[in-house]
Amino acid sequence: MLTPLLLIPLFGAIAIALYPKPQASRTIATIFSLVTLAWSLYLLSQFDLNIGEIQFTEFHRWIDPLGLNYSLGVDGLSLPLLALNGLLTIIALYTNRKDMERSRLHDSLILLINAGIAGALMSQNLLFFIIFYELELIPFYLLIAIWGGEKRGYASTKFILYTAVSGLLVLAAFLGITFLSHSPSFEFSDIAIDNLDLTSQLILLTALLIGFGIKIPLVPLHTWMPDTYVEASPSTTILLGGIFAKLGTYGLLRFGLQLFPATWHIISPSLAIIGTVSVIYGAMNAIAQRDIKRMVAYSSIGHMGYILVAAAAGTELSVLGAIAQMIAHGLILALLFFLVGIVEQTTGTRDLDVLNGLMNPIRGLPLTSGLLILAGMASAGIPGLVGFAAEFVVFQGSFATFPIPTLLCIFSSGLTAVYFVILINRTCFGKLDNVRAYYTRLTINDQWPALVLTAIVLFLGVQPNWLLRWMEPTTTTLVSELHAPAIVQIAEIDNSYR
Amino acid sequence: MNTFSQTVWLVPIYSLFGVLLALLWSPSLIRRTGPRPAGYVSLLLTSFALLHSVLALKEVWSSPIQFSVNWLHAANLDIAFDVEASATTVGALVVILSLNLLTQIYAIAYLEMDWGWARFYALIALFEAGMSALMLTNSLFFSYVMLEILTLGTYLLIGFWFNQSLVVTGARDGFLTKRVGDLILLMGVVALYPLAGTWNYDELTVWASTVDLDPTVATLLGLALLAGPLAKCAQFPLQLWLDEAMEGPMPATVLRNAVVVSTGAWVLIKMQPILNLSPVVVNAEIAIGAFTAVSCAAIALAQIDIKRVFSYATSSYLGVVFVAVGTGQQDAALMLLLTYAIAMALILMSVGGIILNNISQDITQLGGLWKRRPISGICFVVGALSLVAVPPLGCFWGLASIANGLSPLLLAVLLLVNGLTACSLARVFGLLFTGPVTDWTRRSPEGLWALVLPMTILLGFALHVPQSLAVLGLLPNLALVTQPATLLLMGSTLMGGGVGLFLYAFSTVSKPIRLPIPGVQDFLAYDFYTAQLYKVTVIAIVGFLAKAINWCDRVLVDGAVNLVGLLTLASGQSLKYNTNGQMQFYALSILLGTIFFGLILCYPLLSALH
Repeated sequence: MLTPLLLIPLFGAIAIALYPKPQASRTIATIFSLVTLAWSLYLLSQFDLNIGEIQFTEFHRWIDPLGLNYSLGVDGLSLPLLALNGLLTIIALYTNRKDMERSRLHDSLILLINAGIAGALMSQNLLFFIIFYELELIPFYLLIAIWGGEKRGYASTKFILYTAVSGLLVLAAFLGITFLSHSPSFEFSDIAIDNLDLTSQLILLTALLIGFGIKIPLVPLHTWMPDTYVEASPSTTILLGGIFAKLGTYGLLRFGLQLFPATWHIISPSLAIIGTVSVIYGAMNAIAQRDIKRMVAYSSIGHMGYILVAAAAGTELSVLGAIAQMIAHGLILALLFFLVGIVEQTTGTRDLDVLNGLMNPIRGLPLTSGLLILAGMASAGIPGLVGFAAEFVVFQGSFATFPIPTLLCIFSSGLTAVYFVILINRTCFGKLDNVRAYYTRLTINDQWPALVLTAIVLFLGVQPNWLLRWMEPTTTTLVSELHAPAIVQIAEIDNSYR
Repeated sequence: MNTFSQTVWLVPIYSLFGVLLALLWSPSLIRRTGPRPAGYVSLLLTSFALLHSVLALKEVWSSPIQFSVNWLHAANLDIAFDVEASATTVGALVVILSLNLLTQIYAIAYLEMDWGWARFYALIALFEAGMSALMLTNSLFFSYVMLEILTLGTYLLIGFWFNQSLVVTGARDGFLTKRVGDLILLMGVVALYPLAGTWNYDELTVWASTVDLDPTVATLLGLALLAGPLAKCAQFPLQLWLDEAMEGPMPATVLRNAVVVSTGAWVLIKMQPILNLSPVVVNAEIAIGAFTAVSCAAIALAQIDIKRVFSYATSSYLGVVFVAVGTGQQDAALMLLLTYAIAMALILMSVGGIILNNISQDITQLGGLWKRRPISGICFVVGALSLVAVPPLGCFWGLASIANGLSPLLLAVLLLVNGLTACSLARVFGLLFTGPVTDWTRRSPEGLWALVLPMTILLGFALHVPQSLAVLGLLPNLALVTQPATLLLMGSTLMGGGVGLFLYAFSTVSKPIRLPIPGVQDFLAYDFYTAQLYKVTVIAIVGFLAKAINWCDRVLVDGAVNLVGLLTLASGQSLKYNTNGQMQFYALSILLGTIFFGLILCYPLLSALH
């Protein structure tokens, strides 16, 4: 059931490479990614909502002595992300295509990324996960280095160094987990963490935290991110921010919270603090930016911080909120980057001090501005849009465990409103500059991905049950593991530690 | 049969549908017809909503109903959209929708040539949807949701003429100020649930009557909840946004000042049982209300922009409502809100017509309009008389009931507010309608039918308010009229109005009138310098922090990373010169390395030495 999600995009990438006409590359890529998306939606429809554990499992022995197996499976944590992956791939294919050079390579790289991320999300074997986790860095590196902006060399190098370190740390932690706990293989279900003493658990979890923290990114491991997001082309940024960064939070939930329930409890207060610091730090930095893309990039640091706070709080509701926020943030961030990409492409600038009056119905970009306002408000957490639904569940869930960090997060969503108001007031409102305003007219054809994303953001905002229902059984399972044995285990660990 | 009351939830849906339909005509979708159909579609849907709610009102009059629709189900959290359709809520719905309908007709004339027509109607419909849902819901959570949606609507409506810089800053301040209130309210909402386990107002009332809450918790919770209405009703110190909101188009101002702002007070009334848990909160509520009422009434007297006069009058009246709610007079407060909405809408419609074709909003520049605009004049006078305590018109009843339930100090506050408002209404009347004709008012005919019609209909409403109150059985006991507090109230109206007329309607005193101490006048005219206060506190702090953190990010955090990179490069660069081919140097390096690693390996042994 799951293998097609890996193979279809791979075949697509090969098909693009082999097909003689380069201008057909996007059509081929669209067909293949539509099939992938349709398949993941089909899986959603087949997903059994009564089971919190892994479903649709596939298992084949591969390199037995290493403990590396072809082992796939999904649950309510990964399946919604898979659907998001499929959707954003199509959106990315239709983002900012003007004068695209080497479109064949571009499109096949995007399909490779789709396959890589799908693989990472589905694999139930730690080594298998690492392979995909590292593999998708290559297409991303190429996308940034070839189609990036002026400083693409600097950005892509920084990106690859940071994320490779992330991969190494995660790999080291995985090796440590498996070998130290004397698990028979790297199979997720085989790992028995109980054999580990508290110190090694803490060390391993810290390595995971730093490794995935780079990916999320958490402050102070974030400096690759603004540079990369800004220099990469809009389509790459959509994939980077929308789904790539989610691998960090996914990893943290899957391999941190799920593998180390007891230790997770111990470090959760510090996690909540790191999350809150990220939230406020991202928002404050965003307020100070003059470049709209950079502003949106910093906003992402803030919003990913909510996920960490919620994951740290570890109540059923907060973990649910964390997963919902991943999806909500992926959708909203993709929408924002898409629109910012349109603004940049049409006006030739991203500078807040130059942009003005784009709401003008005749010579401006009225539809883009309207959608930008909506996207900004969704990000700021205005009710009726998906951002609010997810954030509210996060806040309500985390409040019981960490009241002060939660209140600070709510405070910070006010700061979010501040920078989005700055962004909207400067770009959409104001007087259109008569000298500059000779923009090419945009049609619906240029903007339909934004309309699709807007429709989803609105629909899930009004009907959040449709977002949450997939995740609920899994979070129940996750959190029951977190709570039931936790108390006993902590006591045991404490004793052994003494 | 209660078909209409069972389906009363459709009322906000009509308006939402209106939003979507009107947006079709905003630029780049439907062009061929021009934007006007958007307005007509919106009007049609508002009429449907009004009709539906009137029919529902008939049904729920004797038998209120409640039902709830699940909105979100997650883990141990169930959020349901609780609907309460009672005479009060559906009645409020009817008032709001009627005012909405009249305002939309008014807007046909006011925005006749405007290119943002479709956007305007879409936003008005959004307002309408938000307000109707707020009236119907019986859940604190959804009250918060609707307040936020109204905040967004306010932002976009103030920013309607977005290419003027004052409009842009006004929209920004309106949005952010209200957002501050909303988010503090959200903190309260989030904190309340673990304590009470519900957001349903009825259940919360039961909970509040039985619970024994720690005073600190109760105070913090109450203050957080209070912040929402505080910002919404433009109470001190968050009153500035309403003043800046006057940059928006007039029909939106009519709606905002008459009803949107009052929705905050509605929520306040609903959550008063929780606020009552802490005496500190109730005292704060009364103190803020009283202070805002007096200070804004005084500020209104010092304004020269007509719209601003009424924005401060609005804050001032809602201050009175805060006092009334704080002192436990919910019914009187509701009645005041109802009568106030009609009176304020009438005054603003009349003034709006004058602004539209005299261009200027500066009352010192206008004058002598009575002969030219008798209809507007009559509407203004009736609106003004309904707004202050003049029996038997509108607000008299509410104000009189409130006056009789207040302590002497608060009664003095109310008398002062009523007197000052009467004075400022008389001042506006004097400056607009009497005196010599100025250059601005030389040509000033009554407006288009669409401008006059809603105004005169509303005039009829305003004149019939006492009768309707009597028919609905809402009129307080007539003995109220002869109570000493009521007599004092009428006296204060007479005195304030008299002084205002004496100073401004007759040319005995030379204008502009200066107070003996110019500092005081400036203090009032510039709204207690609140804008400057914000600038040196909140704005400065956030701005500074943002810059400082950004500096840290660029220089310290990213700098450290770049330094590591630089060091790597530099060490590589310098080490390459070591490759000089001298055998001895290599041997020395190897030796040093061996010793170094040997020492590290021997480190555990070294510690055993001593």
